[in-house]
Amino acid sequence: MQYQSQAVAKPYFIAAIALFVGQIIFGLIMGLQYVMGDFLFPEIPFNVARMVHTNLLIVWLLFGFMGATYYLIPEESETELFSPKLAIITFWVFLAAGVATVLGYLLVPYASLAKFTGNDLLATMGREFLEQPLPTKVGIVVVVLSFIFNVVMTMLKGRKTAISLVLVLGLVGLAVFFLFSFYNPHNLVKDKYYWWWVVHLWVEGVWELILGAILAFVLIKVTGVDREVVEKWLYVIITMTLITGIIGTGHHYYWIGAPAYWQVWGSVFSALEPIPFFMLTIFAFNMVNKRRREHPNKAATLWALGTGVMAFLGAGVWGFMHTLAPVNYYTHGTQLTAAHGHMAFYGAYAMVVLTIISYAMPILRGRAANSNKAQVVEMWSFWLMTVAMVFITLFLTAAGVLQTWLQRISTTPMSFMATQDSVAIFYWMREVSGVVFLIGLIVYITSFFIKGETKAS
Amino acid sequence: MNKQLNRFATIIWLALVILTIGTFLIGEEVTAGKTVMLSVLLISLIKGQLIANYFMGLRHVSWLWRGIILGYFVIVGGMIAIAYLN
Amino acid sequence: MPPSFVSIDESCDEAGILGNLMNTKTMLVNETEDLPGDFAIWIFILAEMLVFGVMFIVYAFARSNQIEVFNESQLTLSRAMGTLNTIILITSSYFVVRAVSAIKSGNSRQSAHWLLGTIFLGGMFVAVKLWEFNEKFSAGITLETNDFYMFYLTLTFFHLMHVLMGMIILACIVYKLKNGDYSAKEHFGVETGASFWHMVDLLWIILFPLIYIIR
Repeated sequence: MQYQSQAVAKPYFIAAIALFVGQIIFGLIMGLQYVMGDFLFPEIPFNVARMVHTNLLIVWLLFGFMGATYYLIPEESETELFSPKLAIITFWVFLAAGVATVLGYLLVPYASLAKFTGNDLLATMGREFLEQPLPTKVGIVVVVLSFIFNVVMTMLKGRKTAISLVLVLGLVGLAVFFLFSFYNPHNLVKDKYYWWWVVHLWVEGVWELILGAILAFVLIKVTGVDREVVEKWLYVIITMTLITGIIGTGHHYYWIGAPAYWQVWGSVFSALEPIPFFMLTIFAFNMVNKRRREHPNKAATLWALGTGVMAFLGAGVWGFMHTLAPVNYYTHGTQLTAAHGHMAFYGAYAMVVLTIISYAMPILRGRAANSNKAQVVEMWSFWLMTVAMVFITLFLTAAGVLQTWLQRISTTPMSFMATQDSVAIFYWMREVSGVVFLIGLIVYITSFFIKGETKAS
Repeated sequence: MNKQLNRFATIIWLALVILTIGTFLIGEEVTAGKTVMLSVLLISLIKGQLIANYFMGLRHVSWLWRGIILGYFVIVGGMIAIAYLN
Repeated sequence: MPPSFVSIDESCDEAGILGNLMNTKTMLVNETEDLPGDFAIWIFILAEMLVFGVMFIVYAFARSNQIEVFNESQLTLSRAMGTLNTIILITSSYFVVRAVSAIKSGNSRQSAHWLLGTIFLGGMFVAVKLWEFNEKFSAGITLETNDFYMFYLTLTFFHLMHVLMGMIILACIVYKLKNGDYSAKEHFGVETGASFWHMVDLLWIILFPLIYIIR
């Protein structure tokens, strides 16, 4: 580790992995509830399990992004962090808020939680992904602002690189768009309209900048390729992301009451959203092929390449599948969306966080790379989780296609619930894949505890 | 050397202007029809080639790039023609 | 063997490849030679052409479902103004060619003058366009009037944004030219800006007949 203050990243990474485990467990619970409706009822109803599953995802990714930033910014800026103490304080605040919120979801009925936490003062709850009680939302804003303050102050006193600029741009965007979670108009159309400004502009906009910056950083480190080359790629990729992603928001505006021209704008621009992801893949492989050093951390390189491929498949290909308005007319809100959501979140964001953890964690623990034995185990976990996710996606896709056909296209359309029964076999298969994913995750965690001869840092 | 190139560019510019006026006249004078549509698209393709090869300077560059621009005009123009002939 | 697709190929590390890496034009394995301007701007140009290309095709197919509406609305556009703007853009592109040619022979003053001329023509294009928009808006036409106007306003507005962006880019280049940052040997930036401006022209070459003429 080049700078002492990079060490603050470590608790963030550990918390991220712990919450990741929680997310997967709740995923398995809901997966089972798809086929056994009363499983764990009334202790954990489906809607609560779903809320915990998605909220934990977002929180652990945020932990991962923050950890990545605290690791990356001192090294890029060539200076110690402005205030490591502030970083540690915000870590505990954020973790406490996150855990309290999840416990609130699990222990208190959602309506009572809303009442206790002042939702009648400013109604922000009850919207998918943004279910957090008002104090949590305010807490997130405070944490993120102090985080950005810390990062920007660090950058100001040090070297400013393209990677850190893109990263900070992404983080500022993340903060700005989150503010729309406080805006909850009564008009349902407007509600959804601005809701997407958080959800879409996060994952198909500013988060991609964060993704690009983290990946570029790791690739520079493990390949030793010239910074100039990497930066040029990064600029092209983020430009494409913003060209396609911003107006691409329109692919969420079909038939929700927004003006009809969004069908054309949304289709055209979002159809091109795979391009930056494709470029990301080419970028990753190109850099690795042109590497100028053999970094001892092979696992990190594997994660980096995996991110490129899986992000393109999950976000790019599976997104494109149902992004055109005439297609989406039939597939809107079916299991195809779930298939896309799973692979895109895993491929783009979960994997990039695992990439930086894989690269940074050994260094934070005082060595350039883990022992060969530990790396082999980590690579096994890579394949287990990634292949399991591919199968989850394939089974959900099959379920979605069948669902679309039976419920919406067929000349004798079936009801929603009858359709669900006929695709149940795919839900079972998805659940099995989910178990394999959990095994992969356990293998991943064990890899941290495997000793063996390590390479000196 | 440079003077010659500049004169050449001027000739290309003149050709582009004439083709543009041609397009305008077709739009004003001739009743709409398939021939008109196809000839206007063809004029566009020629103009595109003139700009790409002589103004953008792609004629010095590997054939791949010229192919991309030509292919673009052929595909986009072709799709437009197909939609209109439908 | 660990399950991994990161195979180690030692031959990758030969000096030839490392030397080439210094050159950003070799970002792709397929090396392209002497593209005018920065490689990144060409990727950008292709991306922009793709976006517009898709839009053009969508326009054409949307029209085939409601030919009368499109033909009728199209006749309300001023073909003369469209033609005028085409000639303005073509001429501005010509000016850019002259600007590049001037800097190649080391004459940065002349180059700046040609570019200022280009920016002036760009301004004229914008003025004509705004006049057109004003005509339509005061007739009460919006994006939601019908599909033709939706496409007309969308395509021409997006294109207009590119003209404005091109003018800003060229203005930066003029500033750098006046600073003496470019020379007969080093004029990469001028070529980059020039390529962008030509793209704006290239897109209009299809947009103009498609929206104004063909019916």
